[in-house]
Order: sequence, then structure tokens, then C-alpha cells
Amino acid sequence: MMESIGTNASPIEVLLVEDSPGDVRLTREAFKDAKVHISLHVASDGAEAMAFLGREGSYVNAPRPDLILLDLNLPKKDGREVLEEIKESASLKTIPVVILTTSASEKDILRSYRLHANCYITKPVDLAGFLKVVKSIDNFWLSVVKLPHEVRT
Amino acid sequence: MFGSAILTLLVVGAISYRAMVVSNDSERWVQHTLEVLANLQDLLSDMESIESNSRGFALTGEEWRLVSYRANMKSLEQHEAAVHSLTVDNPAQQRQMPVLNRLAAQEVQFSEMVIEIRRAKGFEAAAHVIQNGQGQHIMDEFRGVFRAMQEEELRLLALRNAAAKQRLGQTKTFLILGIFLGLLISAAAAWNVQRDSSRRAFADKALLDSEERFRGLLEAAPDAMVVVNQSGEIVLLNVQAEKQFGYRREELLGQKVKNIIPEGFAERLIADGTRTAAEAMAQQIGTGIELSGRRKDGNEFPIEIMLRPLENADGILVTAAIRDITERKQAEETLRQSEESNRLIVSNTKDYAIMMLDLGGNVVNWNEGAERIKGYRAEEIIGQHFSCFFPAEDISNGKPALQLEEAARVGRFEDEDWRIRKDGSRFFASVVITALREETGLLRGFGKITRDITERKKFEEHLVKTAEELRRSNDQLQQFGYVASHDLQEPLRMVASYTQLLATRYKGRLDSDADDFIDYAVDGCNRMQGLIQDLLAYSRSGTNEKALREISGENALKEALANLRATIGESGAIVTHDSLPSITTDEVQLVQVFQNLVGNAIKYCSAAVPLVHVSATKNGGNEWIFSVRDNGLGIEPQYFERIFIIFQRLHGRQEFNGTGIGLAICKKIVERLGGRIWVESQLAKGSTFYFALPETGEK
Repeated sequence: MMESIGTNASPIEVLLVEDSPGDVRLTREAFKDAKVHISLHVASDGAEAMAFLGREGSYVNAPRPDLILLDLNLPKKDGREVLEEIKESASLKTIPVVILTTSASEKDILRSYRLHANCYITKPVDLAGFLKVVKSIDNFWLSVVKLPHEVRT
Repeated sequence: MFGSAILTLLVVGAISYRAMVVSNDSERWVQHTLEVLANLQDLLSDMESIESNSRGFALTGEEWRLVSYRANMKSLEQHEAAVHSLTVDNPAQQRQMPVLNRLAAQEVQFSEMVIEIRRAKGFEAAAHVIQNGQGQHIMDEFRGVFRAMQEEELRLLALRNAAAKQRLGQTKTFLILGIFLGLLISAAAAWNVQRDSSRRAFADKALLDSEERFRGLLEAAPDAMVVVNQSGEIVLLNVQAEKQFGYRREELLGQKVKNIIPEGFAERLIADGTRTAAEAMAQQIGTGIELSGRRKDGNEFPIEIMLRPLENADGILVTAAIRDITERKQAEETLRQSEESNRLIVSNTKDYAIMMLDLGGNVVNWNEGAERIKGYRAEEIIGQHFSCFFPAEDISNGKPALQLEEAARVGRFEDEDWRIRKDGSRFFASVVITALREETGLLRGFGKITRDITERKKFEEHLVKTAEELRRSNDQLQQFGYVASHDLQEPLRMVASYTQLLATRYKGRLDSDADDFIDYAVDGCNRMQGLIQDLLAYSRSGTNEKALREISGENALKEALANLRATIGESGAIVTHDSLPSITTDEVQLVQVFQNLVGNAIKYCSAAVPLVHVSATKNGGNEWIFSVRDNGLGIEPQYFERIFIIFQRLHGRQEFNGTGIGLAICKKIVERLGGRIWVESQLAKGSTFYFALPETGEK
């Protein structure tokens, strides 16, 4: 059964995988003005992200995210590995993954798309640019596109 | 047989001859007698004519009778002499001759008297003298003598005729017998001769053949061949001899050999002429005597001579094979010189150990370089096995033998490895072992050249280490670029973002100082971000692979202008260009260069309307020279080089914003593409930046 996200009363679950508290805060600030109700979960490294997605340990009751914002350069488990594991998992691979990173390297871009990243965004260096990008994500991924509604297991 | 035939014939001949001579004799005597008789008869006629002619004149007085009388007188004298000489062998007849002469003289005297009387006293007196009968008396007496002599001769004639007849018969018999015998013997002899001569013809032909063959051999010989007799004269020669000495055959034949081989030959002739054929055979070509030959034109040239006695019916001849060894001599001399210089070079070579090894690997000789490098003196090492130069582990691995095997198999072995000196110290050696073979291919030994390349080895190792260090340092530099792009940028982005957030949320809500401070912080962050981004661009511009392909220069410029759209719009600049060529290069990088240069041209400008013109020309080489001309501030000549160095700026931040990296990037790109970049400028008038790129994109 498909439903419009925008008209759903329940909030949209977004997992932000980001080690920089500054960026987490900035993202949170940017989402404040979002059109939909967003529930932002944060994992500060790759291992934690996989634990959240696998509902391990303290994340037993963690929701399945509707969108994942993934940084590439992370402690413990690298963002690239996280992406690979998500896209290899039959249950997780339908979740859109937006790479949001400071890296502008062609290598990283190519590799990410090969691992089936849904899009790749380089963090703008200035605040205005950053806010604009987050707003775009909000607008596009959380309002414009239709996301699959998965039955939670 | 033949002898007896000849003897028989001789005997027969002699007898026949004798018979013929005798027979001839008899015949001659008969003839002689007849002649005497004829002369006697003539004498008598002369006497009668004289008497009748004188008497006729006396009777008639006719003068013509006197003419006949005179002729008769002459004839009488002749016949008297003839009879006298014809009968000189006959004493009886000779005794009659004076009587005959006296009577003839009396007759002439009487006739003269009659003629005289007729002339002086006339017919009567003359007739009187004639009638006294004195004349008749003389004539009668003469006739008597004549008859006696005639009878004597006739008697002789009868005798001689008989003898001649008898002799003739004998001669005939002898001749017939002799001819018959002679024919018989001749027939036998002829048969013999016939048999003999066919045998002889065969022998003659064989002799001729063998001579012909000898001449053929002589002509076919590759060397000059001369046959000389014991007195040193040339009796036979071949065409090579003609050529070699420059004479024609007929000029040389009979000439003394000394004329063409001035010295040594005659002496050898004596020595070799007495040598046996076997001894001569034992001497091989190449071991001959070396002398010098002289050509017709007087030039002398070195020769080698082989002599061989040749027995022949005329005595001992000497065959000389003469080889012109000018070329061999020259080759020998060249070889000698080259060997000498090689020896000098080898023995004086100090930087290379040069030695010979025998088949077993024992040192045969040793040069100065070997002594210097390896520490052994020649007398210590010659005869030693060359494995003493190897480290112990190589000897136990059998390396020395393997190297010789390899050299023998392939002809050459090369090695670079550690070797041991006499004092036990190691040195790094470059070794070349060459198999030395005889012309037949037989392995004779090995030549070994060793060079001490320890220094080079050290240098190479040092070079490798330096290159490694350089590579690492470059990597670190690259890493720095990445650090700048990400790790350095990350905290800066935080500072910038939050100061900006601070500015947007709290501007006007704090005091004015706080607003100022926030502004400075934001400005500093922005500048630093610009710097980091340019630095990143600079470091990237050197790391990417060159993507060379043929691109349109115009398109590259268009793309650069599109990137600069905002700048151009804000400044109101007018950018023009000539047609630009297609060029094989990296498009992204070329766009970057155009963008930086045109961007600078617009930026550093005080004119109301910045004017920029881009063009390209081809120079003599395969280079395109692009230029970007502006009407900007211009640059002082002392800064022409400096402006291309990273972080070098000519203007304060208050005047023009910038990081001092743009031109450094251009220079790095252009040089990486195999080109050059430079500027020409006049202060306050404008600058033209040029960059040259190879047409093909290759360095």
C-alpha cells in the first residue's frame, strides 16, 4: 500500500551519519524550516550507523530510516563501507542514500555512484550554500519524490 | 739391321762409283784419241790450204787468196798447239811434234817467199820457184809424219775402245747386283724403319702431350712460374710472370733471372738446384724464401719463392713459383702495428683489469689495471685460477665455471657483482668475459675485462635512494594538497559557517563592536577559504593525468568565458578574439589557463571598459603561440618573472583581492603540456601574456 509521505501524519525518519557535531548542528538548524515533520537521528561513525540500521544494542527500537545522509570520511567504519553494506543488504538497499561530504574528489564521486549512492553532494564551504543544499534535500527527497514504504520487520 | 743395310748400300755404291769412274775414264780416253785425230786432220788441211792459197796467188795474183792464206796461218797455229797439248801424255807422239812443227814452219817460209817473189818479180819468177819442187817436197814429208801420228792414234783408239767396252760390262754387272742387293736390304730396312717410326711417333706424341700438360699447369698456376736453366736464364714462364714483372713473354725468355730477381735467387739456384725433388716437395708454400722482385719499370716488390729442380734432357732446370706478397706484407705490417698498439693500450690501461684466461680459467697474462684493481702482481697471479677473484659463496655456487661455460657457449658473458681483492676487500665489478676462438672456431681461451664500479654502484644506490626520497616527498606534497582540501578546510568551514550563522542571527542585537568583530572574522574565513581552494586547484593541476586530444582552441576559450560570465558582466569588459587553431592538448587545463589569464586581464584594470583580445600565431617550430592582450595596469619589467611564482602578488589586498596562485597555476599547466609562458607589458598601457604550446601536444 503506497501513501504520500507529505500527507502521512507520522514523521519522516532521516538518519544523518556525520562525525562533526558542527555539521550535525548546522543540518539540524537547516531542517528546522522543513515543510514536513522530520525526525533526525544521528550516528557519529560508520559502526554506529550500521548498529542503528541493524537495530543492534541500544538501537533495538530504532526506526527504519526513509532517507540516509551519509558522510564519507568517518571514524571506525568508513562511509564508503557503510554505503556498500547498505546497498548489498536486500532489506536496506531500497533506502535512498545521499552522500553529503566535503570531498569533491572525482574518485569518491565515481566510487559512490558505483556503489549505488542515490546522489552525491559536496558540502558548500559557506553557510548560505550549506543551508541551500539542505533545503534542496528537504525539498527534493522529502517532498518531491515518492519513497518506498517498507513494512518494518 | 738398318746399319747393315746402310753398309751394304755404301759398299754397292762405292763399287758402282768406282766402276763408273773407271768406265768414264776409258770413255774419256776414247774421246781424247778421237779429238787428237780430228786435230791432226785439221792440221793437215791447214797445211794444204796454205800451199794451195799461196800457189793460187802466185798464179793469179788475186788478193782474196792472201786473205784466206792469213786465216789458214792462224788456224794452223791453233791446231799445232791443240795437238801438242792433247798428246802431251804420249811420248811417242811428242817425239813427232818437233818434226811436225819444223815442216809447218818450212812450208810457211816457202809460201811467204813465193808470195814475195810474185809481188816483186811477177808470175814468171814465182812459177819458176814453185816448179823447182821445194814446196812439194815439204808437203810430202809433212804427210809422212801426219800418217805416222794418225796411225799411232788409231792404234790407241782400238785399244781404248776395247778396254772401255770391258769396263762398261763390269760396271753394269756390279750396278745390277748392287741395286738388287740394295733394294733387298732397303726393303728390309724400310720395314724396320716403318715399324720403328710408328713407335717413335707414339713416343713423340706422348712427349708433346706431357710438355703441353706442363705448360697448361704452368699457365693455370696462381703464382708466377719461371723455369730457369743452370746458367740462370729464363727458358719458360707463365702469364702470371708476365703480369707480375710487367714484361712481355718474349722479353723475358732468354733473359737472366737476375734482372727480375736481383738478389738471392742465384745463390738459391745453386743450393736448390742440387736438392732432391723429395726435399723440395717437403717444403710447403708459405715457407719459401722471401726475396724481392723487380718489375720492368724498376719498382721492387716483396716476393716469396719456391724452387724445385726439374730434370730434363738438356740438364737440370729449376722451376720457380713466385708469389707477390706485397699485400701479405702490408697486412702483416698492419697487424704488427695494431698488435703493438693493442699491447700498449692493454698494458697501459689502468682503469680496466684486462687479462687472458686459458681454457681451464687460469690467468695467462695481467695488465697494470688488473694489478691496480685486484692488488695482485703479475708474477703472483699468472697461472692461478680466476676463481680467486670471487667471494667464497660464489665459488661454492660454482659461478666461475658457469661463467666460462656461458662465455664459451654464447661467445660473451657479462656480469655486475661483487669481487674480492688480494687483501680480501670487496669491490663491485663490471665483468665481460669473451671467448677467444681461432679461425677454425677452436676455443683458445678467454679474454676478461673487469672494471671497478664500486663508486658507480654507490652512486646508483644513492640515486635510487634519492629518487625514492623524492617520490615520497612528492607523495607527501600531494597528501598536503588533500589535507588542504579536506582536513584543513573542514574546521575552517565550521569557523566560517558559525561566524556567518552568528552574523545572520545576531547582527544588530549586540553592540557595534561585536558586529565589526564578527565581520572581520567572516572576512578572514572567506579569504582563507579562497586561498585553500586556489591552492587545491594548483596542486590538482599537476596531478591529473594529461588527457591529450585534438580540441578547438575557440571552444576552450568559449568555455573559459562562460565560466567568467559573472565577472565579465559585472566589469562590462569586452573580450574579442581572432580565430584560434585546433590543437592537441588537455582541454580542461587549456580552459583553466584561458580563464585565469582573461580573468586577470579584467581584474587588474583601471580603465572604464576592460578590453581583452585573444589571438594565436604559429611560430617557426611546431608551436602555437597564444596571446591574451589587455588594456590594464601593466607590469614593471622587474616583475615579469616573479608574477609566475606561487603566492607572489604585486598589489595589496585593499587594491585587488587575490591569492597569488592564478599565474602559478597557468605556468604549471603550460609547462606540463610542454610549453612556455611569459609576459610583455608596459606600465599603465597594458600587458600581453603569451603561452606557447606544441602543436602535437608532445614534449
